[in-house]
Amino acid sequence: MGLKQRAFDWLDLRLGVRDILQQNLTHYLLPRNINVWYTLGATLLVLFSLQFITGIFLLVYYIPNTEQAFASVQRIMNDIPYGWLVRFLHATGSNVVILVLFLHMLSTLYMAAYKRPREITWIFGFLIFLVSLAMSLTGYLLPWSQLSYWATTVATESAGATPVIGEAMIHFLRGGPAVGEFTLGRFFALHVMGLPLIFALLAGGHLFCVRRIGVSRPPFGPDYLPEAPGTSFHHTDHSGGIPFFPNYVVKDLMVIAFFLTLLAAGAFFAPQLSLPPEAFEPADPFRTPPGIKPEWYFLAAYQLLRILPNEFLGLVVQGGAVAFLLFLPFIDRGPERRPGRRPLFLGLFIVGLAGFLILTVWGYLS
Amino acid sequence: MTSEPSLTSRRKMLATSVGVIGAALAALTVWPFWRFLNPQAGSAQAQTVTIDRSQIEVGAAHFFEFRGHAAVLVQPAPGQFAAFSAVCTHLGCIVTWRAQEQIFFCPCHAGRFSPDGRVVGGPPPRPLPSYPVTVTGDQIRIG
Ligand code: HEM
Ligand code: FES
Repeated sequence: MGLKQRAFDWLDLRLGVRDILQQNLTHYLLPRNINVWYTLGATLLVLFSLQFITGIFLLVYYIPNTEQAFASVQRIMNDIPYGWLVRFLHATGSNVVILVLFLHMLSTLYMAAYKRPREITWIFGFLIFLVSLAMSLTGYLLPWSQLSYWATTVATESAGATPVIGEAMIHFLRGGPAVGEFTLGRFFALHVMGLPLIFALLAGGHLFCVRRIGVSRPPFGPDYLPEAPGTSFHHTDHSGGIPFFPNYVVKDLMVIAFFLTLLAAGAFFAPQLSLPPEAFEPADPFRTPPGIKPEWYFLAAYQLLRILPNEFLGLVVQGGAVAFLLFLPFIDRGPERRPGRRPLFLGLFIVGLAGFLILTVWGYLS
Repeated sequence: MTSEPSLTSRRKMLATSVGVIGAALAALTVWPFWRFLNPQAGSAQAQTVTIDRSQIEVGAAHFFEFRGHAAVLVQPAPGQFAAFSAVCTHLGCIVTWRAQEQIFFCPCHAGRFSPDGRVVGGPPPRPLPSYPVTVTGDQIRIG
C-alpha cells in the first residue's frame, strides 16, 4: 500500500473523507441537460480568491494616507519586483469579476432559477453583487490618483439628489464636505476589512443554499416539466444525471481557464482599459480633469441620472430597479420556468437588458 | 477494458504530463509573488558607501547603513580606518563605541570587541565581519 493510500485511509478513518468526497464529487449528480452557464459560480469563486490574494499582497506596500497613498502605489508599480503584475491583476481582475457576476445573474435570471425553492439563494446572490459594486467603488479611491479622486467625488455627489437628507448623506459618505483624508480612511477600512467580511458571510450563505437545495434543472428540452411546489423540504436530486466529477469539473475548468486567459490578456496587453492616464496623476482637489466618467458598470446608472429631467427621479428609478430585482422571487411566483412560456418575463428581460446596454454605450459616448 | 496495460500506461502518461505542466505553471505563478515579497533580494551585493573624512575624528566612530545593516567606521590612529558590521555576532543587537576604552560594547549581554573587531569579552562567538576600506583624498569608500 502506497504512502498516499495510507494517509488517505488514516484521514478516512477519522473524518469519513471518502464519504464526503463521494457525496460531493462522483455521487453528486447534475441534470443531464445541464449547460455551460452553470460553470460561472465556480469561476466566480476562483476570480474572487484571486482578488483576495492580490489584494492582500497590495496591502503589504500600500499606505492608506493622502500624503503617501499615490507614491506607495507608484512604488508598487515601479520598484517592487512584479508589483505591476499584482496591481494589474487586481485592477483588471475587478473588472472581470464584475463581468462574470453580470453573466451569472443574467443566466440565473433567464432560467428563472430564482423561483421557489431558491428565493433565498437569489437574495444572497444579489446582495453579493451589490457588495462587489461597493468593493469596486471603495477600491477605486485607494490609489489617490486624479481618476480615483474625481470618480469618487462624482459618485458620492449623486447621493445629494435625495431630498432633505441629501447633503447630510454626502457628508456621511465622505466623512466631510469634500473627498479628503477621512474619505480615504473609511473607504480603506471598508475595502479591505468591512466589505470582505460581509462578502464572506454572504458567499457562505449562498453556497450553503445552493448545496442544500441542489442545483435546478435547466428549463429547456422536450421532457422538462415544472416542479410542483412541495409541502416539505426536498433536496433536488437528479438520479440518472451526470456526475460532477469528473464530467462537470472538466467543463468548470474550461470556463475558468477562459476567464483567466481573459484576465491575463487584460493585465498584460491592455492594462490601460482598467487604468487610463488619469490614474497615473496624483489627486489634485483644485483641478478636475475633463470628461471624468465612472467605471463601465456604473455608466448606465450615471447616464440615467443625466437624461432624466430630475436627479431625484433618477435615484427613485434606480432604487426601484434594485429593489425589484432583489425581491423578484416574491413578485414573480408562478412555477413555470420555461422562457418561451413566459412572454411578459421574456419581454421585460430583453427590454431591460437592451436598455442597460444602450444606456451604457450612450454614457460611454456622450 | 479498463485494465488493458496500454490504457493504464496512457493514463499514467497523461496524469504525469498534467502534473509536470501543472507544477511548472504553479512555479511560474508563485515566482512573481515570492519576488514581490523580497524586494531587496540580490540588489544589496553591489552597493558601496562613501563617507567624507570630516565626519570621523581620530578615536571616534561613525555609524551608517551598509547593505541593509548597521555598520560602523572607526579611525583608531590618524589615517588608519577600519569598517565593520555593527551587528553583534551573539544575538544581533547593535554595538556601541566606547571612546574612552576604545572598544565596541554590546548593550544586550555586555559583549566586547576590540577596534579591529576581535571578541575581547562576553558571549559573542565570532568577530565582527569587516569590510574593505579605500581612502582617496577626503573620501573614504567602504565595500
Ligand atoms: C480582501 C480583499 C481585497 C483587498 C485586501 C483589496 C485591497 C486593495 C488595495 C490595497 C487597493 C489599492 C492599491 C491599488 O489600487 O492597486 C485596491 C484597489 C482596488 N480594488 Fe481591491 N481588495 C480586495 C478585494 C477587491 C474586490 C473583490 C474588488 C472588486 C470586485 C476590488 C476592486 C478594487 C479596485 C477597482 C481597485 C482600484 C484599482 C486601481 O486603481 O489600481 N478589490 N484593493
Ligand atoms: S547580542 Fe550582543 S552580547 Fe548578546
